[in-house]
Amino acid sequence: MSEKKPKRPRLSRRQFLTKSALLATALGLPPLVKSGAPGAAAAMVAAGATTRNGQIVAAVSERALTLDPGDHYSISATSVLRHVFDPLIDVTNNSKFVPALAESWEAVTPTSWRFTLRRGVTFHDGSPFNSDSVVYTLARVRDNTKLIKSFVYQDLGAIEKDGPFAVTVATKHPFGALPSHLTMLGMLPPGAAGREDSFFQHPIGTGPFKFVGWTRGERVDLSANPNYWKTGVPKVEKVIFRFVPELSTRAAGLRAGEFHVIDRLPPDMVQTLRGSPGVKAVSVLGIEVQQWLFQMAKDPDKNALLRKAISLGIDRNTIVKEFMLGFARAAVCPVPPGLVGYVDLGVKPYDPDRAKVLLKQAGYNGEPLDFVLMKDLYPKQLEIAQAVQSMLTGIGVKVSIKNIEIATAREMRAAGNYDMFYSGWAHLPHDPDWYFGQWFTQAGAAKLSRYNNPKVEQLVVDARSPDPKIRQQRYEDLERILWTEEEPTIWPFYSRAIYGVRDTLRNYEARGDYYVLLSEVSVS
Amino acid sequence: MSRYLIRRLLHSALTLVGVSILVFVILRVVPGNPARMLLPEGAPQSAVDELDRQLGLRKPLLEQYVIFLRSVSRGDFGQSFQYRAPAATVVWERIPATLDLTTAAILLIVWVGVPIGILAAVRRRTVFDYAGMTFAVLGQSLPNFWLGIMLILLFGVTIRWLPTSGFEGWRYLILPSVTLAAYPTAFVARLTRSGMLEVLNQDFVRTARSKGLAGATVVFRHALKNAIIPVLTIIGLQIGVLLSGAVITESVFAWPGIGKLIVDAIFFRDFPVVQTVLILSAATFVLVNFVVDLLYAVLDPRIRFG
Repeated sequence: MSEKKPKRPRLSRRQFLTKSALLATALGLPPLVKSGAPGAAAAMVAAGATTRNGQIVAAVSERALTLDPGDHYSISATSVLRHVFDPLIDVTNNSKFVPALAESWEAVTPTSWRFTLRRGVTFHDGSPFNSDSVVYTLARVRDNTKLIKSFVYQDLGAIEKDGPFAVTVATKHPFGALPSHLTMLGMLPPGAAGREDSFFQHPIGTGPFKFVGWTRGERVDLSANPNYWKTGVPKVEKVIFRFVPELSTRAAGLRAGEFHVIDRLPPDMVQTLRGSPGVKAVSVLGIEVQQWLFQMAKDPDKNALLRKAISLGIDRNTIVKEFMLGFARAAVCPVPPGLVGYVDLGVKPYDPDRAKVLLKQAGYNGEPLDFVLMKDLYPKQLEIAQAVQSMLTGIGVKVSIKNIEIATAREMRAAGNYDMFYSGWAHLPHDPDWYFGQWFTQAGAAKLSRYNNPKVEQLVVDARSPDPKIRQQRYEDLERILWTEEEPTIWPFYSRAIYGVRDTLRNYEARGDYYVLLSEVSVS
Repeated sequence: MSRYLIRRLLHSALTLVGVSILVFVILRVVPGNPARMLLPEGAPQSAVDELDRQLGLRKPLLEQYVIFLRSVSRGDFGQSFQYRAPAATVVWERIPATLDLTTAAILLIVWVGVPIGILAAVRRRTVFDYAGMTFAVLGQSLPNFWLGIMLILLFGVTIRWLPTSGFEGWRYLILPSVTLAAYPTAFVARLTRSGMLEVLNQDFVRTARSKGLAGATVVFRHALKNAIIPVLTIIGLQIGVLLSGAVITESVFAWPGIGKLIVDAIFFRDFPVVQTVLILSAATFVLVNFVVDLLYAVLDPRIRFG
């Protein structure tokens, strides 16, 4: 086609979009191209951005309600704040601890750690990152007991500068899990001291993105930090986090192209998304294990033979296949693969005949067992509990399911009013110390399962050593007791973390810890 | 009139105090511990106790209530447990979205529901009547969440005319307000129709027609004015209901309104936020009812207060 067109001033699509956007802004009109639509990226390039371009909109299920890294244990707040703040230590998807703001760290003695800090890092306001920042951040979370994370840091002793780029931290007891906890704690500028309230309305970190603004509990807007210490990161100009608890709304937004990534898909949604053009589901084995507690102080549950009979009466593989649609793996120990303490002790067998024999020996008198669920908390939990109920009816155990609103169910658990309790545990921060320390020590379990075994308790304490080899050994020992001898809890399966992603995203990594991390992700 | 006003204002104040006591006590009596909800599962009991103390929940109930009243009188509704910020701020931030959605829904109810009702009554047993009432039955019988999701799938996902969720401009308002208004619009249409039918058969309407007044004048000036009182009551109540939040619509459209806020706050036992929202909604209800009562007198000269 070589037809000549009449000459007129030419306006490319890009120029048109840029100019119309400028005009629209001037007039206060909504832009012609909705941000997030493919055209917006082009408009940004035309407006003079460098290699970094485009924006990513992530819709996550849980609301981030605070911007203070020390004041929450929310997974979505951790995701959002990881973009604004850097922790000392990062954790990879296969649970390896790698340097972030600390270039290296070591346990100098069993109760003291030394962190060597990265040089040449600046906060978003240009102030330098150094040991003052670390001392302030750690002392704050230890001393301000109003902060949600404070209880974890109560074991910290003296926190001291060792020059401008090194910090030593003493602990009251061996604290082998300290590096893992530090992956969830963003470093603050010491200038925030004394004005935390206003600081956390517009936080400043050293992270790959700067905080731009937020609608509390609804969305957070971030823009690229051009001076980020890691070269080539971030890959996009803007990141927007939207908090959309309603699953069908998240999925609709993904299919409509408004969201680039959504989290927490239940297994049956994967099929629905497969039929949608431009969208895919990606998943990875999560660091979450389901756990069904027995109330160990209650009469029927005290009976080890009854617990073993119940365990033998549950077919884990059927649950994984039929209810989780394969998006789970039958557990082989209480700790998911990849973490310190993981050991393959074998999937618990399904043997209804043996279960019936054990049941007879246990002297079970047909008393129904209350299986308490926290309403709508885990995908498919009610269907799975009903399947367990029917499997156990098969061996002669009566189960009555109580599907109860979360706060009330937790109160029932604290009061010990249950026989079995449906729960799950995401092994944050990629370490089992917290789990075993709270659920299998007398003090921790007092309001949970009432578990009490001094031998296990001692192993939990020993496993706090900073030496990974010792930790692995102690955890293996204690898990053998729990898994093989006592079965105080049934750990049926590890779930997969499933995400919905637009196929315009490049390099998106589905995380097993449910974090949505976007600094290395680009959009085409 | 002024004595009536004073009496009504006193009643209103009493109602609000009653609501505050009720809310305060009920929240603290129902099972569920805020500290346990805030901390991760498996947090040690010492941490739960410490947080309980920090949140002021260890004090006797009466002392807590007195502290609460004292702070409310200073305009301080306490610190939200969950948001870690002043409850009044958290609630205040939700007001614009709630007002937008309420206004849009009320406009739809008034400008769609009432005309449909009038048309159906005036053109009784014609296609207008049947179409209007079919719409009304659908509007009243389609569940809110289903309608919302269907609208999203049609207009957001399939033909992509409108955004699926969020709160960034008037285009974001269309689907939620239609979803929210569907039921009350249908209700108002049916109510208007039945009210109009009753009035249209009365003597004064026949008189008006026989003295040669234009059809429109008869319908709007004579019939509607008499038929509208119950409709007005319903619309007034609806304003109250809508202002206190539309949980399902807000959930489906990720709309940052009051409704979802309070439901989440109840689930998480965020007492200060629940108290603030409930006292605020009670105040709104009292105020709107008051205004509607006054409006009766304006619209219907037979009604006098004294």
